[in-house]
Amino acid sequence: MSATELHHIAVVGGGMMGRSIATRVSQAGLSLVLKEINENRAAQVMGILEDSLERQIERWQLTKSEKKAILSRIEPTTDIQRIRDCQLVIETIQEDFEAKRALLHELDAVAGPQVPIIVNTSTLSITELAQGLANPERVLGMHFLYPVTTQPVVEVVRGQVTSDAAFELARTFARILGKVPIEVFESPGFVTTRVILPLINEAIHVVMEGVASAAEVDLAMKLGYEFRTGPLEWADRVGLQKILTWLEYLFQETGDPKFRPCPLLRKLVRAGHTGAAKGKGFFTYDAARNRLDRLPDDTPRVA
Amino acid sequence: MKILVLNCGSSSVKFQVIETSVEMIAANADRTLARGSVEKIGLSDSRLSLEVPGRKPYQEISEILEHRTAVERVLRVLCHPEHGVISSVAEIEAVGHRVVHGGEKFASSVLVTPEVEAGIEECVVLAPLHNPHNLRGLHAAKELLGNVPHVAVFDTAFHQSMPPRAFIYGLPYQLYRRHGIRRYGFHGTSHRFVAIHTARLLGRPLEETKIVTCHLGNGCSMAAVDRGHSVDTSMGFTPLEGLLMGTRAGDIDPAVLPWVMAMEELTLAQLNAMLNKHSGLYGVSGVSSDMREVLQARAEGNARADLAFQIFCYRVRKYLGAYAAAMEGIDAVTFTGGIGENSPEVREACLTGLEFLGIELDTEANRNVPRGEEVLVNKPGSRVAVAVIPTNEERVIARDTVRVLAGIMPSFAVPGNEAPR
Repeated sequence: MSATELHHIAVVGGGMMGRSIATRVSQAGLSLVLKEINENRAAQVMGILEDSLERQIERWQLTKSEKKAILSRIEPTTDIQRIRDCQLVIETIQEDFEAKRALLHELDAVAGPQVPIIVNTSTLSITELAQGLANPERVLGMHFLYPVTTQPVVEVVRGQVTSDAAFELARTFARILGKVPIEVFESPGFVTTRVILPLINEAIHVVMEGVASAAEVDLAMKLGYEFRTGPLEWADRVGLQKILTWLEYLFQETGDPKFRPCPLLRKLVRAGHTGAAKGKGFFTYDAARNRLDRLPDDTPRVA
Repeated sequence: MKILVLNCGSSSVKFQVIETSVEMIAANADRTLARGSVEKIGLSDSRLSLEVPGRKPYQEISEILEHRTAVERVLRVLCHPEHGVISSVAEIEAVGHRVVHGGEKFASSVLVTPEVEAGIEECVVLAPLHNPHNLRGLHAAKELLGNVPHVAVFDTAFHQSMPPRAFIYGLPYQLYRRHGIRRYGFHGTSHRFVAIHTARLLGRPLEETKIVTCHLGNGCSMAAVDRGHSVDTSMGFTPLEGLLMGTRAGDIDPAVLPWVMAMEELTLAQLNAMLNKHSGLYGVSGVSSDMREVLQARAEGNARADLAFQIFCYRVRKYLGAYAAAMEGIDAVTFTGGIGENSPEVREACLTGLEFLGIELDTEANRNVPRGEEVLVNKPGSRVAVAVIPTNEERVIARDTVRVLAGIMPSFAVPGNEAPR
């Protein structure tokens, strides 16, 4: 299938990732069904999605007519049968092995046998997830980075039995979305997650040991290595619960102590200080997730 | 001969069938047999519309997912026994294609050969949002129409006559050599058409006339047309430079850009979108990108709408003065494009007080321009003529197609105007 023939797909799950992927897909001119579990949730998801488009307009990223066009190509549904005529299916439900496996069985039964099913995951094994399906060769992984609307890269993950046809279509799909596909073979954490997690974990250790404050750790890394966002603020924005889950998974899979979650991370998660969405993590945030406690030196630099 | 003219955008195809020939061009007697468009390509409710003079407009809604299908449907409706204007596609003797960017490669309209196609492909890097779609239309038409000749007509070609002092930016010269960073200019087909028609309207040879042409539409640009040659134009490397436009900023201090990026923590994509889609009349007025709505708000006392209007007209005046100086004289000012043709307020605000330059507008005539007609709106005795000329880029494309096939298409390049290597 060529790029021009791919025009109607399904996104299953309207969480942060699902909404961001749905927006990008529609922006690229494809139409899609966005599957949610019930009417209430579907309506809520479309509401949040619309709000986030509104915020993008304020940031000069979108125009009002583009917003209208984007919304017109997204059809929320609660009916799994609606994916029957889709040319590609992406699931974006929570990072939970059993939940994803159960969903894959459902999708495998409804989607046409040649239709690639893409698992959006940053850590889970595609091969294990696809085991026991009627058509395991059409399952592969795509690890999008958030926000999908602007991040230029996506990891495309081959499982042990993934077919070349499914893999090639996924790469074409990535290009349609304007992203550079990075081909990775299945391995816990793939590339981006595996490399960034020890950095974040180490930054948390530095804070816990009292070597420097969280704000200064972030500022040093930001200025020193030209990060747009420091590692701790980045973790806050992803959500500390998610960071903890990933670390635990990689620690368990590899047995490598470099992935052992720092106790301070657990402490913050237990206290409910899970990051920007909750208003508090390593730093504090307002309702629009703007960080409130920047250091005086942490200002835009023109020259 | 019957020429099909195609103008392919990202999600649209505009077309016309024009009957023309060398003799008909000379007599200004070419005829548009049909015109129309396919909009919303890629969606399930794409709309094909067709207008034939003297008939009721025809429309069909259907799923058209790509340009090839769009061109196929256009040909089908043109041959339709009831709605169409030809009995079979064999009646189409040639196809003229609008191509946005011809870089420095194309200083004229040309017959499409494999080398020309490769050349258009090379220019994709200069116009990533336009040339790929133009090429898509070209490929589709070649596939569907077999052996008829195809001619490419470039928006940039007419401005290839500019001297280096007008097209080289004050940047390190390596940037020109390495990346082709220079002024190219756009709307060339339109500037050329209205310049020719202005001279004709004045009853003077184009070769003896100095004309400033103002194409004021959704995109806006001006050109200094000195004895038939474009010697300067306000759009630059991209169609963003120069005048204030519907949603485009036009001229700004380039140092503003890194500053805004840092202060607002913007990405390059956001900055680009800001300059191209959120600025101009819309950005300043906060009302609309459409001049009619800005004028309406201004009439109701909206101060920012008034400001947007003033900036718009002030920029036109600045370029007008600059181009009169550049050409060492001026014989005519010509307005075209949606705003240029239809807004007496804009024309008046652009020209009031320029009597010292010899421009005397007849405000009464200016307010009563008949739609779609070529007219002069200066006072009798005005040293400089003021013309309103409806542009017709499709007609230029059809005419160039005939000229290329007849071997009488001139090049716009002016010997001696090459930049030093």
